[in-house]
Amino acid sequence: MGSPLLEVNDLRIAFPVEGRMTEAVRGTSFSLDQGEVVGLLGESGSGKSVSALAIMGLIAPPGAITAGTIWFNGRDLRTLNEAALRKVRGREISIVFQDPQTTFNPSLTIGSQLLHVIRTHTSRTKAEAKKRALEVLELVGLPHPSRVMRCYPHQLSGGMRQRTSIGMALACEPTLLIADEPTTALDVTIQAQMVELFRQLQDELNVTTLYITHNLDLMAELCDRAIVMYGGMIVEAGTVQDLFENPRHPYTRMLTDCVPRLDVEECELTVIPGMPPALGSIKGGCPFEPRCPLAFEKCRQTCPAEEAIGGHRFSCWEGER
Amino acid sequence: MSETLLLELQEVSKIFNVDPNPLKRSLGIGQKLCAVDQFSLRVTKGNIIGLVGESGCGKSTTALLIVKLLNVSKGTILYRGQNITEATGTKMRPFRERVQMVFQDSSSALNPRKTVKRTLLEALRRRFGRTPDLEGKAIELLAVTGLGPEILPRYPHALSGGQRQRVGIARALAMEPEFIILDEPVSALDVSLQAQVIKILKGLSQERDLTMMFISHDLALVNHLCNQIVVMYAGRVVETGSPDEVMRQTAHPYTKALIAAVPRGLRGRREPLPVLVGNVERSGEGCNFAPRCPKALPICREIVPREISLTGQHKVACHLLDEGKGP
Amino acid sequence: MNHKSIVSGLNVRLLKAALGNSGFWGSFIVVIAILIALLAPQLSPNDPEALDTSIRFMPPSAEHWLGTDHMGRDVMSRLLWGARPSLKIGVGAVIIGLPLGIIVGLLSGFYRNTLIETVLMRTMEVLAAIPLLIWAIALIGLLGVKPIEVGPFLISNQFKIILVLGLLYVPGLSRIVYAVASGEVVSDYVAARRLQGVSDINLMISDILPNCMSPLIVMGTLFVANGVLTEAALSFLGIGVQLPQASWGGMLSEARRSLFTGEWWLLVFPGLAITISVTGYNLAGDALRDILDPRSVVGQRRVS
Repeated sequence: MGSPLLEVNDLRIAFPVEGRMTEAVRGTSFSLDQGEVVGLLGESGSGKSVSALAIMGLIAPPGAITAGTIWFNGRDLRTLNEAALRKVRGREISIVFQDPQTTFNPSLTIGSQLLHVIRTHTSRTKAEAKKRALEVLELVGLPHPSRVMRCYPHQLSGGMRQRTSIGMALACEPTLLIADEPTTALDVTIQAQMVELFRQLQDELNVTTLYITHNLDLMAELCDRAIVMYGGMIVEAGTVQDLFENPRHPYTRMLTDCVPRLDVEECELTVIPGMPPALGSIKGGCPFEPRCPLAFEKCRQTCPAEEAIGGHRFSCWEGER
Repeated sequence: MSETLLLELQEVSKIFNVDPNPLKRSLGIGQKLCAVDQFSLRVTKGNIIGLVGESGCGKSTTALLIVKLLNVSKGTILYRGQNITEATGTKMRPFRERVQMVFQDSSSALNPRKTVKRTLLEALRRRFGRTPDLEGKAIELLAVTGLGPEILPRYPHALSGGQRQRVGIARALAMEPEFIILDEPVSALDVSLQAQVIKILKGLSQERDLTMMFISHDLALVNHLCNQIVVMYAGRVVETGSPDEVMRQTAHPYTKALIAAVPRGLRGRREPLPVLVGNVERSGEGCNFAPRCPKALPICREIVPREISLTGQHKVACHLLDEGKGP
Repeated sequence: MNHKSIVSGLNVRLLKAALGNSGFWGSFIVVIAILIALLAPQLSPNDPEALDTSIRFMPPSAEHWLGTDHMGRDVMSRLLWGARPSLKIGVGAVIIGLPLGIIVGLLSGFYRNTLIETVLMRTMEVLAAIPLLIWAIALIGLLGVKPIEVGPFLISNQFKIILVLGLLYVPGLSRIVYAVASGEVVSDYVAARRLQGVSDINLMISDILPNCMSPLIVMGTLFVANGVLTEAALSFLGIGVQLPQASWGGMLSEARRSLFTGEWWLLVFPGLAITISVTGYNLAGDALRDILDPRSVVGQRRVS
């Protein structure tokens, strides 16, 4: 199989809260193999978006990565300076953000922004870059690519803008694509179009993708494997089948039962009491303990150690009750 | 049959002047947008109605028309039998107390310069006058929505989105309404919190006999919670009925596409997604959905489909099912 | 470490924090300006209008700390007394302009896209099209520099200037209120209040106005500063505070020739007085705004 494309080890990211550096990501480790589509699942306070930004080297001071390594293509991204990181960003690792409105500069045409990205990272001439831009817009299913190139961002609908940002992310043929909740802001039928697009792109380009979302069902449709984060830690990880058919962590289990879903007849939704943890509110022990119906003394005191059954990892003391 | 008809909308339409020329706009001529087209609805006491549709379908505008924050262009609104379409001022007072709304964007739904206590007390004062135990009532309202009294002295910016949303619900409840419209009440909340708020709303419907209307793009939520579903597309109602009728005996092609678009989890991996192409357009002539409809007939592009009754409460507006049957 | 040094350590830190804070300096200046204006009679060593041609054009010395002017009058006394008209006119104009500006701004912002808004805002825009100073010169020129009789009242020259300036501030102040009001009137919380059956006026005063206060206060202090400058300009031109009354602008006007003849103390001190007080009002305004905004406290960052 070869070594993984991306390997994150014991990543810790902290932000200042009332003067003290408080960890938002508390020692996570995961890896992505070439060609995989891996989902990163979590809610507010889980640390999922921050992890993505860390991989891109986009954690702005005063926040900082305080520990861990991010191995990408044989290099530790943490050792790179800003200039070297800029070469990696956009060219080898690309990101698609949630809000298609803020992804683009509202005063420049789509064309000029696309060309800028392509010419910054590759050595194409203006004509070649334009050709590539049109190619990529067609690839993402936009009708009339040349017209889109001349448009300003506000002239496109939300779905079209998001397609364009996917196109922009793919323009330089990155090895790794990070998608941070790319369909959350879109209508459900447009979301379905995006899912179809992602599948198509996966088939054609085989881009390794890290797909961040809070929607379990959406993740299951697109990803092979998934990582569930809560309170800055990975609570469970495994194939999508593992997570759906045999969830080992109480959070994962409750997540599937607390949302109304079509085709699933249930009269009562499982209610997870309490709120997702705010930054800095987690004391020792398991971050999910305050809300967990199965919590006992050990959960409060010690952070659960990770167990693994094959590729299925989880961190929970339940087995030791 | 002891069903009280609370609210009735008869062929309500709302037309906006959207001409880019400001002079034309102020004169009322030029380009127009029909945001809501001949919307009819009967709301009986105890109903939980789900109004679903995607962006631009007119559901939020409909909500504003129902609570009379916007004036209708055409049509009639009846509250408990009384025509309130043109009513203003004191004639609106009983309506204002009994019909409330919870807004979608919790960050703009609360005045940033007022503490939670002030926001709630204001509402309570309007309803009950200056009686002594208003603060106690405010604490009760917060408790109903799962919040503690420590929330009272805080400003909205110091609350999380979920807390703000609940304060919005508490404020609406302060007026002791008969009918509450909720505009996407849980879509901005974390997944693990949605169930909490849904449970609260379910409880309110049962314990207080509250009639509710949910505006949502989340079909699964509406299917779970409501006893009547209304599906809108580009300003018009395309299908309405009980959850069973609309979700399992689906008649309209748009509703079918909407249901098919909802992610199915593991099952979805095996089935290719039937995808709706393009975007919403108001075509002007005929059915608004015709340009995107996989089964469009020539008549669909010429004549607006009329509403037909199928079984029970199930109604649909589609030529494909209209074989000369009357409403 | 004994507690004396701990206490003095604390004091040093506090002192350093205060000295670094521009709001502190602004407020300090404003307070000094007010004190000087109030206590001018007590503070000034001489009668500001006392002439003594034998000691004209004397540079700063022990008897006359800031020197004497071309009429032999003590510069220091005139400077201290000159604080009065500048403060009176600066603050007075804002006191007149603020309520009118609020009314115009609230009405036009609240009733957006109606005739009320069009009439009010277009009128304000026409007024604002001509620079304030030109308007002031034109109106004061028209009204003359003598006190006017209006019915049983005698309006003094200074009060006339205050009224004129106050009215001229209305377009600027109403524009700020309009900007906030027109944005807030469409917000959901206003809609929620309407659903409670609240009247329009009630909405304007209790919901929208508080949201306008912060930018309004900052603008208000800027206009006070502007008032000081305008008064100086008008007095400099001879249509403001009339000589021989002391005013900073008037002092500069009388000292015009001294630019070439070298009596620097007649220009520097009034000029400094104007500059420092204007800066003080501006800084104090910034500090006020920061204090008044409940959102200015840096909150916890929500990270996901």
